[in-house]
Amino acid sequence: MDAGDLFEVLATTLRVAACALFLAAPCGIAAGWWLARKDFRGKSVVETLLAMPLVLPPVAVGYLLLALFARDGWLGERALGFDPGILFTWKGAVLASAAMALPLVARTARAAFDGVDPRLERMARTAGLTPWRVSWCVTLPLARRGLAAACVLGFGRALGEFGATVVVAGNIPGRTQTIALAIFSEIQLGDTQAALRLVAIVAGLAFVLMWSVEKLQRAAAREGR
Amino acid sequence: MISGLELDLRLRQRQFALEVRCTTKVRTLGVHGASGSGKTSLLEAIAGWRRPAQGRLVVGGAVLHDSASGIDLPPEQRGIGYVPQDALLWPHWNVGRNLRVGARRLDAAGEELLARTAAMLDIAPLLERGVGGLSGGERQRVSLARALVGRPRLLMLDEPLAALDAPLRRRILAYLLRVRDELRVPILFVSHDASEVQAMCDEVLVLRAGRVVAQGEPSLVLRAGVEPQASFDNVLAGHVVALEDGVALLELEGGGQARVPQRGLALDRRVVFAVHSDEILLARGATGRISARNRLQARVERVVEVGGALRIDARLDARGSGALLSATLTRAAVEELGLAAGTPVECVFKATACRVWNAVD
Repeated sequence: MDAGDLFEVLATTLRVAACALFLAAPCGIAAGWWLARKDFRGKSVVETLLAMPLVLPPVAVGYLLLALFARDGWLGERALGFDPGILFTWKGAVLASAAMALPLVARTARAAFDGVDPRLERMARTAGLTPWRVSWCVTLPLARRGLAAACVLGFGRALGEFGATVVVAGNIPGRTQTIALAIFSEIQLGDTQAALRLVAIVAGLAFVLMWSVEKLQRAAAREGR
Repeated sequence: MISGLELDLRLRQRQFALEVRCTTKVRTLGVHGASGSGKTSLLEAIAGWRRPAQGRLVVGGAVLHDSASGIDLPPEQRGIGYVPQDALLWPHWNVGRNLRVGARRLDAAGEELLARTAAMLDIAPLLERGVGGLSGGERQRVSLARALVGRPRLLMLDEPLAALDAPLRRRILAYLLRVRDELRVPILFVSHDASEVQAMCDEVLVLRAGRVVAQGEPSLVLRAGVEPQASFDNVLAGHVVALEDGVALLELEGGGQARVPQRGLALDRRVVFAVHSDEILLARGATGRISARNRLQARVERVVEVGGALRIDARLDARGSGALLSATLTRAAVEELGLAAGTPVECVFKATACRVWNAVD
């Protein structure tokens, strides 16, 4: 793997992870808020379903997505009337990574909202703010560190995604090959040097991400006290 | 005036039912009761925090809730200023933005009210500070100012002094009395402390297990008590008519005079002070010369026996219009003096036994 290939792999990885986060963050934060603030029948079932991708084999999640977007799937060409262009494209990699990142974002976001005293929100209502303004001016700012941690975790999860991605998007150099897929390819090819180089890069990225998550969560805990 | 506070609220929660019915026209209504009696639940139901409440709630002519006609204003439209026990300041805003509820500036009238309120509560120097570093008393005053800046139709204070130590409690009570007397905002004042209720309120509701068990003039209702106590903190009010060496002479409301520590009090100032029943001696006949600065004529109204001790409730000023003063005595003392309803007595206590509450120093 030369420098150009490496650059391409990194660019694909970051683009896929960023787009996956762009999808997973709003959904995950909304789901986290909903679970933290609302009580409804079947809440525990929703919570369990949402957490399942954390323990399901990523390949299984990938296969579900594959079935969903296949020609005859519920969201396939036949059902929609046009080809959504997901399978074996970088968009498929984004979708697979987003699906795997979503539960992590939602759980971390939920913990962030749980850390905001709901009485501070009620007090803001009593002081004259509408529910939307309360969310915008009180809840989100108070949960901001936890939410940032949720996003960083989601980004990290998307960055390292392999199992679901390889099923949905394949392993196409220059198009869908992210760093995790590239490591797999190098191992297959027997190029241990190249594989180790990629592992070192991904380990460095993971260290920076987890270090920031720790920092953010510690700061959030301090603010909550 | 709470020109007609009409409360008829029923709230059912898992292990607790609240049922409060009361109508009043006084400006400051106290809500008194032990912890767990439903005081905070009542305030939260009035604020619209606890739902679904059944019944009707009218404040100053405005219907905030009426389950019969389907009216249930959301909290932001109820116009209530709420000062909870723990102040509940928003930690991500500084004091100034807490008072402006997040806004950077209010309109001219709002800024003027904010400046006046901040000056009255002595928090003007704190406006740019973060709320994290405020002391307990400062937090309470900021919370109170925030409620006032919202121009509430009703101010609700939930045990605003409970979390404070004694000197700070006296100081914050002084600010509350100032708010009550100067701003004339209708107040609902929740406290488990009988002397605070007497100092602040024109009328009191006593709650027990979510229900009203008594309502009326605080000094009478609280003396009668759900469980009468032998000791009682007498709270009296009067105006300063003369200043003597370190002592202020008060003309008491309802008649009689009392001397209290001067502590920066000025002439004509309305003063609220407390003197505990343990600090009062009762005398009959000529007592001769005595160092205590207060010797008030009174007539015993009743003798209340609680456990081994006796509480004598005496009405000041023989014309019968004065305040009640309670003294705790032993049985032997009561028998020796021959005290019974109607006996004229002299209530004797030192000026320094009086705790003046509304001197902001």
